[in-house]
Amino acid sequence: MTKIGLEIHCQLTKLASKLFCSCKAEYRNLEPNSNICPVCAGLPGSLPLLNKKAVEKAAMISLALGCKIPGKIGFFRKNYFYPDLPKNFQITQYNAYGPTSIGSDGKMEIEGKEIRIRRIQLEEDPGRLVYEGTSEKTMITLVDYNRAGTPLVEIVTEPDFETPKQVRKFLNVLADLVENIGVSDPYLEGAMRVDGNISEGDGNRVEIKNVGSFSDIEKALLFEITRQQSLVERGIEVQAETRHWDEARRITVSSRSKEEEQDYRYLPEADIPIVLIGNESLDKISTQMPESIVARKERYVKKYGMPAQVADVLSSDRFYSDLFDKSHNEKNAKEVSNIITTDLMGFADTREKKLELKITSKHISDLADSILENKLTRNSGKLALQEMVKTGKALTDVISSLDLGHVSDAGSIEKIIDEVFKEEEKAVAEAKQNPDTINYLVGKVMKKTKGKADPATTLDILRKKLSV
Amino acid sequence: MNLGISATEFVSQAKEGALSVEEFVAKTLDRIKKIDEKIHAFITVDSQNALDKAKAIDKKIKSKEKTGICFGMPISLKDNICTAGLKTTCASKMLENFVAPYDATVTSRLKSEDAIILGKVNLDEFAMGSTTEFSYFGPTKNPWNPEYVPGGSSGGSGASVAALECLASLGSDTGGSVRSPASFCSVVGLKPTYGLISRYGLVSYANSIEQIGPVAKTVEDVAFLLNIISGHDVHDNTTVNHGHVDYVKDIKAGVSGKKIGIISQMIGDGIDKEVASATTSAISKLQDLGAECIPVSLDAVNHSVAAYYTIASAEASSNLSRYDNLRYGFDFSTEGYEFKAFISKARSNFGPEVTRRMLLGAFVLSAGYYGKYYLKAQKVRTMIKAQLDEAFKKVDYLISPTMPILPFKVGEKIDDPLKLYLTDINTVTANLSGIPAISVPFSMSSSGLPIGIQLFANSFQEKELLQAAHALQETSKLPEMSL
Amino acid sequence: MVDRKEIEHLGDLVKVELKEPEKYIKQVEQILNYFDSLDKVDFHSDDILRTEVAAENLRDDVHEPCGDSLIEHLKKDQNNFIRAPKMV
Repeated sequence: MTKIGLEIHCQLTKLASKLFCSCKAEYRNLEPNSNICPVCAGLPGSLPLLNKKAVEKAAMISLALGCKIPGKIGFFRKNYFYPDLPKNFQITQYNAYGPTSIGSDGKMEIEGKEIRIRRIQLEEDPGRLVYEGTSEKTMITLVDYNRAGTPLVEIVTEPDFETPKQVRKFLNVLADLVENIGVSDPYLEGAMRVDGNISEGDGNRVEIKNVGSFSDIEKALLFEITRQQSLVERGIEVQAETRHWDEARRITVSSRSKEEEQDYRYLPEADIPIVLIGNESLDKISTQMPESIVARKERYVKKYGMPAQVADVLSSDRFYSDLFDKSHNEKNAKEVSNIITTDLMGFADTREKKLELKITSKHISDLADSILENKLTRNSGKLALQEMVKTGKALTDVISSLDLGHVSDAGSIEKIIDEVFKEEEKAVAEAKQNPDTINYLVGKVMKKTKGKADPATTLDILRKKLSV
Repeated sequence: MNLGISATEFVSQAKEGALSVEEFVAKTLDRIKKIDEKIHAFITVDSQNALDKAKAIDKKIKSKEKTGICFGMPISLKDNICTAGLKTTCASKMLENFVAPYDATVTSRLKSEDAIILGKVNLDEFAMGSTTEFSYFGPTKNPWNPEYVPGGSSGGSGASVAALECLASLGSDTGGSVRSPASFCSVVGLKPTYGLISRYGLVSYANSIEQIGPVAKTVEDVAFLLNIISGHDVHDNTTVNHGHVDYVKDIKAGVSGKKIGIISQMIGDGIDKEVASATTSAISKLQDLGAECIPVSLDAVNHSVAAYYTIASAEASSNLSRYDNLRYGFDFSTEGYEFKAFISKARSNFGPEVTRRMLLGAFVLSAGYYGKYYLKAQKVRTMIKAQLDEAFKKVDYLISPTMPILPFKVGEKIDDPLKLYLTDINTVTANLSGIPAISVPFSMSSSGLPIGIQLFANSFQEKELLQAAHALQETSKLPEMSL
Repeated sequence: MVDRKEIEHLGDLVKVELKEPEKYIKQVEQILNYFDSLDKVDFHSDDILRTEVAAENLRDDVHEPCGDSLIEHLKKDQNNFIRAPKMV
C-alpha cells in the first residue's frame, strides 16, 4: 500500500508587502538586491513587523481547507546556516509546544478520498541563489535578497494519498482554490512549490524535494513507486533518505547528505508578540471569503441549468467565472457560459493570454444576445469572438468589418442551396439515399455564406428540396 | 566652565544663553582627549560633527529659533545602539567595520530634540558581561579608581558620565548592564519596563528581556531623558502604547506614606559588609522621609540567575547567527573557502564570553533539552512576576543593594564565569519579570569605591519609581570626580 | 556529561570554529550543572510571559520602499550581488 504525503509552499503573491517588512512582496524581474531593507537583509538592530493582511490571507486558506484556527498564534525561529538566509534563521511557525500555527486538523476531499491537512503555517521565503558559472566548478554563489521575507504559507498533509494521480488532482484543486479566494496566483514562477514523501507498505519513508512542477511531482512519485517496489522484490530495504528529481534523466536521485538530520533549535520569536485572533476577526474574514468553487458550481447548475461539465470547468477558473458573473443576465446565461467555456477558454488558456485579452463583459453579453436574437450564427459568433479578443472592437464594428451578418431569409438561402446542388450532384444523390449525410451539404452552404446562413432554416429548406 | 553640572542644569543654562553650547562641547571633547586614555570609555568620538552641531544650536538659541529640549546636551551612546554614519561595533571584531545605514529610534528621538551624540562608548562584547572586560577593544576602567572595573556591560556609559566626559548616556540592560555600571561608577542608571523603550536599532542579545536605559548624574536627568526616548514605536512591535507620561513633573513628590519592601534574598549572607551597612543606612534614610520599610521574601529570586543565563544564552545563540561576515562585518575574503568553513572561521573571531554563551545556548535549545532548561527558565519568569505582583499588593516599592559586592579589580574575576554570573543575583529579577529598576548612587566604601542602592516598582510605574529614587538621591552627598 | 566531542558538536551547531575546545569543557559543564538547579523548582503554573497584540493592530500591508539604496552600504560585487561561498 502506497502512502504519500505533501508539503506545499504557497506564496501569498496578492500581498503588497513582505511578511515582516514593507518591501515589495513581488520580487520577480527586479534588479538584484534592489528590494531590500534592514529587516529583510538581516542588519543588526532590525526587528520584524508582522503583516496584518498576511495573517488574514493565511486564515482564509485555513478556513477554506477546513482547519481549526487558534485564538492565539505565535512564531518561532528555525535556526540553521545557509547563504540564502539573511539572519541564519527562518521565522516560521511550529506546533511542537502547542497548536500555535494559523491552521491545523483540516481536510479536503479528492475524488472521494479524504486528505487530512495536518497543519498550515505562515513563514518567510529565503533569498535566491544564483550560481556563477557551471555549478560543478564554481565555489561562489551569488545571493539576491529580493525574495527574502516574501510571505509563504506552508501546507502539510498527512500521508493519505494513495496514488500520484490523486496528488496531481489535489494540487490542481488547491491551486484553483488559492487563486479563487484571492490569496495567491499559483501560476507565477515559484509561487507554489511541492515536496513529497512516499513509502510503500511498511517500508521507510523517502522525501522528494526540489520538484519543479505539478507534473514533475507526479512523475517523480510514479518513478519512486517503481523504484521502491523493485527494491522490495529484490529483498533490499528502502533507505529512509531525501531524494531530488532529476528532470533530464527522469529519475529520482539520492541527495548528498547536506540535508543530514538538522537540529533546528527552535525557540519562540520574541520580537513578534503573540497575535490574538478574536472571533470578530474570524467572522470578518469568513464574510470576506469569496464563494467557494464547490458552491459556485452548485449555483451555476441550479440557477442557470448549466450542464455539470460546463459548470465544473467554469467554476474552477476564477478569471472566467468572474467574467461570466459580469456578462450574463437571466436570459443569456447559458449562451454566455457556452461562449466562455467552448470558445473563449480555448483562445486564452494561459495566464499571459488572459492578461492580454481585450474582451470585456459587454463584448460577451452583446455576442450572446446577438446569437439568441438570430442576428448571428454560432459559427459567425466564433469568428466575431476571435476578432474581438484580438482587437477589442465592439461587436457591431466586427460584424460589419468581417461581414458576419446573419442570413436567415429563406429566399437567399434557397438561392445558395441551388448553387450547391449544382456543384455537388453526387452528394445530393447520396443525401437522398442516406439522410444522415445531409450535414455535408449544410456544411457547403455554410462555407458559401461564410457561416452566416441560419442553420435551422438551411436544414429545413434542404430537407424539403431533397424530399427527405 | 563646570563640566560637573547636571544635564538638567545644562539645559536651563543653555536655554537662557547663560552658557555657550559650543564652548561646553569643546571643553568636553578636550576632557575626553585628556583623560579617556586612562579609563578608555570611548570607542568612537565624533568631534567635528559634535562641534558643528553645537555651533548650529548656539545660533538657533541666539536667534530665538525653536530648539529641541536638549539644547545641545552632549550624550554618549553604548556602541550597540545604531547611529547612521557612525560605526556601531558592539565592541566586537565581527562588527569592526560596521556602519549602520540607519539610526536607532532612540538615536533619532534624541537627535530631533537637539541632543549632541559625542560618540560611542565601550561595552562587553555584544553586551555579554558584567565588567566591560570582554570588549574587543580592551576594558574600560572605573574613573573612581582605574585599577577597578566600572561594571558592565554598559561600562562605557557609566564611566563616561561619571568622568564628566558627557552629561548623559544611553546603555542597555539585559541582566543588570545599566544598573551595575551605574552602581560601580556612582551615577544613576535606570532599566525601564520591558516595552517602554523601542529596541529598533539596539543590536539584539537577548530580545525578550533587554531594554535601553538612560544613565546620568541625577535622577531628574534620567527622567528628562526618559521623556524623550520612551513611548510606542511602529518599528518595534514589542513596545506598548502607554499614553504620554511626563516623568519630570512632580519628581519631588517624596516617599512619605509609601511602603517599601526589603527583598530578603538580596541582602543575604553573600553580600559585602559595607554594602550591607550602606543598605541599612539607605533604608533608615527613607524611613526618616516618612516611608515604611518592611521585609519581603521572594524565593523565586533564588532561581533567577540560572533562569536568566539559560534564556539569555539561548537567545544570544540565535540572535548572533546573522554575523556571517557576508554582507557586513570585517575584512575577510571568501576566496577559497566552502560556506561552512568560511563562516566558522569568520565567527571564530567572537570573544570567549560570547562564544561560551553561544555554546550554552546551543545546548539548552538542542533537540530534547528544550523542556528541561529553556521552558523551565521561562516558567521561572512567570513565577517571579507572580511573586512580585503579590508583593506589590502590599508595598509600593522594593529595595536592595544594586550589587552584592564592591567593585573589584580588573582581571580579578575574569577566569571564573560562573562566579561572575552570580554577581547578577540582585539585578536579573527586574529583567526576567520586565519591571523597572533603578540604581541610585548612595555612598562610598572605606576604600573609596561606589555603592549603589536599587529601587524597583511594578510595570510601567516609572513615574513613581523616579520619585522614590529622587528622594533617596537627595539624602546623600557624594564626593566630586577627582580624575 | 560534557566532553570534547560535545563541545565540538555545539561549536558546529553555532558555526564557530573553536581553536581550543578543551578550554570550554570545564566551564560549560560547570554552568550547565548550575542550570540543572531549575529541575528542583516547584512550579505552580505552566504559563509563559509573552507580549500580546491584537491582529487588528499589526502593520498594514503597504509597500514602502527603503529610502536609501541599502545594497550600497553592504559588501556587494559589481552586479549588486552578495558573494557567498557555495555550501557543499
